[in-house]
Amino acid sequence: MDYLDILEAEAVYIFREVAGQFKRPVLLFSGGKDSTVLIHLALKAFYPSPIPFPVMHIDTGHNFPEALAFRDELIKKINAKLIVRKVVDTIREKNLPDPQGKFPSRNALQSYTLMGAIQEFEFDACIGGGRRDEEKARAKERIFSFRNASGAWQPHNQRPEIWDVYNGRIHQGENVRAFPISNWTELDVWKYIQREKIELPSIYFAHQRSCIVFNKRLVAISQYVNPDENDEIVTTTVRYRTVGDMTCTAAIESTAGTIEDIITELEASLISERGATRIDDQVSDAAMEDRKLKGYF
Amino acid sequence: MDLLRFTTAGSVDDGKSTLIGRLLYDTGNIKTDILETLSAEGGINLAYVTDGLRAERLQKITIDVAYKYFSTPNRKFIITDAPGHFEYTRNLVTGASNVDVMIILIDAQNGITAQTRRHSMVASFLRVGKVIVAINKMDLSNFSQQVYDNIKNAYLQIAAKLNISNISFIPVSALNGDNVTSASANTPWYDGPTILELLESYVGPTHAYAHLRLSVQCTIDGAETGYAGKVLSGTLSTGDKVMVHPSRKEGLVSKIIHNYDTVTEVHAPCNVCIYLDNNITLQRGDTLSHAHDTPLYGNGFEAALCWMDAKEKLDSAKTYLLRINTAEARCTIPSIAHKIDIDTLENYTENAPLEANQFATAQIRTLDEIAWDHFSSVPENARGVIIDPDTNNTVAAFIVR
Repeated sequence: MDYLDILEAEAVYIFREVAGQFKRPVLLFSGGKDSTVLIHLALKAFYPSPIPFPVMHIDTGHNFPEALAFRDELIKKINAKLIVRKVVDTIREKNLPDPQGKFPSRNALQSYTLMGAIQEFEFDACIGGGRRDEEKARAKERIFSFRNASGAWQPHNQRPEIWDVYNGRIHQGENVRAFPISNWTELDVWKYIQREKIELPSIYFAHQRSCIVFNKRLVAISQYVNPDENDEIVTTTVRYRTVGDMTCTAAIESTAGTIEDIITELEASLISERGATRIDDQVSDAAMEDRKLKGYF
Repeated sequence: MDLLRFTTAGSVDDGKSTLIGRLLYDTGNIKTDILETLSAEGGINLAYVTDGLRAERLQKITIDVAYKYFSTPNRKFIITDAPGHFEYTRNLVTGASNVDVMIILIDAQNGITAQTRRHSMVASFLRVGKVIVAINKMDLSNFSQQVYDNIKNAYLQIAAKLNISNISFIPVSALNGDNVTSASANTPWYDGPTILELLESYVGPTHAYAHLRLSVQCTIDGAETGYAGKVLSGTLSTGDKVMVHPSRKEGLVSKIIHNYDTVTEVHAPCNVCIYLDNNITLQRGDTLSHAHDTPLYGNGFEAALCWMDAKEKLDSAKTYLLRINTAEARCTIPSIAHKIDIDTLENYTENAPLEANQFATAQIRTLDEIAWDHFSSVPENARGVIIDPDTNNTVAAFIVR
């Protein structure tokens, strides 16, 4: 069996386990390639029925406009129910400080919005596109990742997860984060996108952009990120390896205009996905672990 | 290109993480920025690749399973780096439950330890298809064939007691790379494969043509109701007469959907959506077989058991939940036939309840009827977990004897 078929089968099985074990699941969608692949897998898992749960976007307000347009078009095409919950609303309601500075990242604040939405809709399972190859803390996480009532991951006391028996039993208020593509690498995702001819937001492909050079990384100038007189500014051909917020996702210099080009580029790349593109994980060795302890995906 | 899953086991400091780091490094699968974070205190610490939690880096031990990925032109690999420490054996069981191959590292200077026996017990319990015994740190034993042979012979005695049959022995230095991805000039007396060669060539057993078992996961709504499930074993075709367990009702398969396609025949392992032509209703937890080739069925069986709950011991008076694939039944484990001593690998009996990281043989009684198979006929339907309905924790893994 081809390894992409094996990975696809594992993901389909996990989706069906979520549907079979939970009353109110939700699929978390960011507009990026991983959650777009999730949608594609969910369509397969439940065909000929439509996806039997809603899709939710936790909107930081710092999105790439291309990703938002892509989101709306995709949701329309698959006839899914979309829920959008905005971090700005959480900031206002909870009177939280809105991060300032040159690259004001609301990334960590997403956890509050997510937890609020989980309570509001009584979601018992959130399906996400997290992959174990992304980051060291994610590499440790179960496929059904149990979270207590405050959303916290307990890395030292994870449930045994044996064979493909996924235990989704929870008490009221607790929830499970389910990761169907845990075992996919960045390259697997791209090879699957190629094989299945999955459409993606245009910013994954090479385009012209004016960027600030920050820590040797290229951060796009946008309504959220403004240059000052000391900045080195370049206008060049770039693409994005991940689609996060405009304020904390770096572009990479690239001329890859097709999926084939991107796969060739990745196979030759010496830098990991998050290393190339995230400016928020550079803070410490345990940045992701710390966010997960606070309810982060 | 296909996929192989393997794990590494061994005592603390036997070099598990270093071996994984070496495999990733030699096959060009560590990116430059990751490599930079590994170069603490001068020199590259390959073990840092896998220890992902802060406490693990501070205590310099692996607590829970980490998953790592690499590929060669021939295969994609999923590595589960599992803990070696005694109290985290249960996490090793999690890590090793899905693997095709277990690599057991033995420090050439220390020889076989209690952990070697314990990890071999896990391999035996889970019936891992292939065991590679990597006799590591050969550089510190002058690459002595005598040292290698002594450990190999001692291990073969353990393997015989545990019924582990498919074993290969390899002398290695994970730190320096001897016999990991390329044959070592330091072991001219060894003419077998390297670890990577073995990993690239091993092919596990197939269940595609064995007894049909299908486990139902959920319903698929539509004009007619379909049932999503996994073909665990065997071949399913449209027109097949199937029996549903535990209801014992029979029906004919009218349609099989795989992905977006309607197909006439599927082989395990395969996710399908099936339709039956008479009005029998299926539900999550049902197991389907051919009507003439059914699983065993009833209210109990003898099982090998590994207890995994670190806080609660086995309570012989308690009603637990048992799960085999998606099938669930309430159950009790009234008495333990015997436990297994990890030092002697002999059976023994004692009155103390079964606790975390202990292995035993026990009679499991179910309060609801359930279908199962023996491991020798349908391994995919001969294993499961025990769940504590109060804490919801998965407290034990079992394999039907």
